[in-house]
Amino acid sequence: MKKMRKFFRYENVGLLFALPAFFYMLIFVGYPIVSNIILSLQNVTVKNLAHGERLFVFLDNYKQLLSDDVFLKALGNTIKFTVVCLVFQFLIGFALALFLNKKFSFAKPVRGLLMIPWMIPMTVTALVFKLLFAGDMGIVNYLLKSLGLIQENIDWLTNPDTAMSVVITANVWIGIPFNTILISTGLTTIPQELYESAAIDGAGKMQQFFKITLPLMRSTIESVLVLGFIYTFKVYDLVYVLTGGGPVNSTHLLSTYSYKQSFELFNYSMGSAIANVLLVILLGVGSFYLKITMDGEEK
Amino acid sequence: MGENIKRRTNVILCIISVFVLGILLFPVFWTFITSLKTEQEIFQVPPTFYPHVLNTKSYAAQIETGDFNMFRSFFNSLMISLGAMVIAVVLAVPASYAIARYRFRGRNGMLLCFLVTQMLPVSVLLTPMFIMFRNLHLYNKWGASILADATIGIPFSILILKNYFASIPKDLEEAAWVDGCNKFTTFMRILVPIAKPGIIVCAIFSFLYAWGDLAYGMTFILDQQKRPITAGIFNFMGQYGTRWSYLTAFAIVTIIPVTLIFIFMQKYIIAGMTSGAVKG
Repeated sequence: MKKMRKFFRYENVGLLFALPAFFYMLIFVGYPIVSNIILSLQNVTVKNLAHGERLFVFLDNYKQLLSDDVFLKALGNTIKFTVVCLVFQFLIGFALALFLNKKFSFAKPVRGLLMIPWMIPMTVTALVFKLLFAGDMGIVNYLLKSLGLIQENIDWLTNPDTAMSVVITANVWIGIPFNTILISTGLTTIPQELYESAAIDGAGKMQQFFKITLPLMRSTIESVLVLGFIYTFKVYDLVYVLTGGGPVNSTHLLSTYSYKQSFELFNYSMGSAIANVLLVILLGVGSFYLKITMDGEEK
Repeated sequence: MGENIKRRTNVILCIISVFVLGILLFPVFWTFITSLKTEQEIFQVPPTFYPHVLNTKSYAAQIETGDFNMFRSFFNSLMISLGAMVIAVVLAVPASYAIARYRFRGRNGMLLCFLVTQMLPVSVLLTPMFIMFRNLHLYNKWGASILADATIGIPFSILILKNYFASIPKDLEEAAWVDGCNKFTTFMRILVPIAKPGIIVCAIFSFLYAWGDLAYGMTFILDQQKRPITAGIFNFMGQYGTRWSYLTAFAIVTIIPVTLIFIFMQKYIIAGMTSGAVKG
């Protein structure tokens, strides 16, 4: 009885409130992670998924990946896709945030409407960009032709040289609201007086930006980039619907290639191994994010 | 940056902002316009910037006939998203309160776990979940998507609400205890009502995540009658690759709930996004 009492002292009651959510995540996320690791060490295909023996092949799947050209291509694509997206959405987001933080009448409603691309399901976004970049009647081709930039229609999505740029454009479009909002919130925390006194001391706008804004925005910039990396690196729906990884694997990312291995070729173990590679890279970069957040927790 | 600006500057900035917004939202506008054109007009050169012949058949056709019923899949998505939303909110509210208020053993470890789940790529979970749901006989049922989609909403909601609960003064709880409330009733009667704006944010985002999901819905539910609308569009795109009037109408119907949420609950969306815990 005394022990029971002791357990129910103030702090441990909290555990009871938290356990349902924790168990839920343990069953539906924790267990799949472990089982995915095991799966990647076996040889599970459609033949022995339901019945039959699952042989442990240990690291064979991973070794096989190293000599799989499509995997290496997908890895390279994922890195290229992530870096280019991050650069563009960050720069555009920063510019928009600076602009929208000026106090003009439309600033607030415009900032609100800017959220729309983020809220639209990625499947729809993919459809929208397929429409814009269609080779025959796409408006992008029409505009580029009217501006005299191209002579012939470009088959954006069926040409291996151009497909990736469409995928990147679509993803940047989705990422802009997220970057703008976070950077814009960060900007409002900079005390106004700093700019006023800098102006009195004769600092120009450029100097103010590099000497005040950037240094004080450091932690915001860090978290925007780290979060942006995490979410861009694992993008799946958008690319799967837009190109399915094609043409000729030119837009395969680790996420889409993993899906293809598991659910189109039914090499479940291979798909799992690719997913785990993706996970390890994410956790590596994500540990910065975890550190930032958990450090804030200690205070 | 925040200096009070002159009237002329104000007008100029407003004009620029409308222009920028016009470019950024053009894709959505164009989709809507296309959905109201006839197939013929869609392929016209030069393209028309508003429908010269108004065509609403693309919407009507999908209600009346079609081997794929758009409104059934809309309903499927609605039930799946609401289900996932309820699970996420019911589980996340008490958990976030606990993490904000109590320093129980394992608290930091638990918080770390929730943070990690936010970073997981869907590919890691798909195959094991697929096998698990098949064994649970949930394959081809809404339940599979609901259970899977809730795993996106839960960690997000916990991270948002944790800050909400942490900002509520402790005195309020202590006063309630003095008045004879126990910990559970204090939580239900005092804290939950105060945290309501935060709970709404979580509900909206959990709904939106589930509404936007393709991977789970497409993988766990193959039965056309039960698939969510995103999987429906994806199918439709495969079948009617260039029937743009149908496809765009389908897209517009899919974003109706998103638009409604945006119109009526914009401040919660902004609040959620500024919290920094949102998936980009």
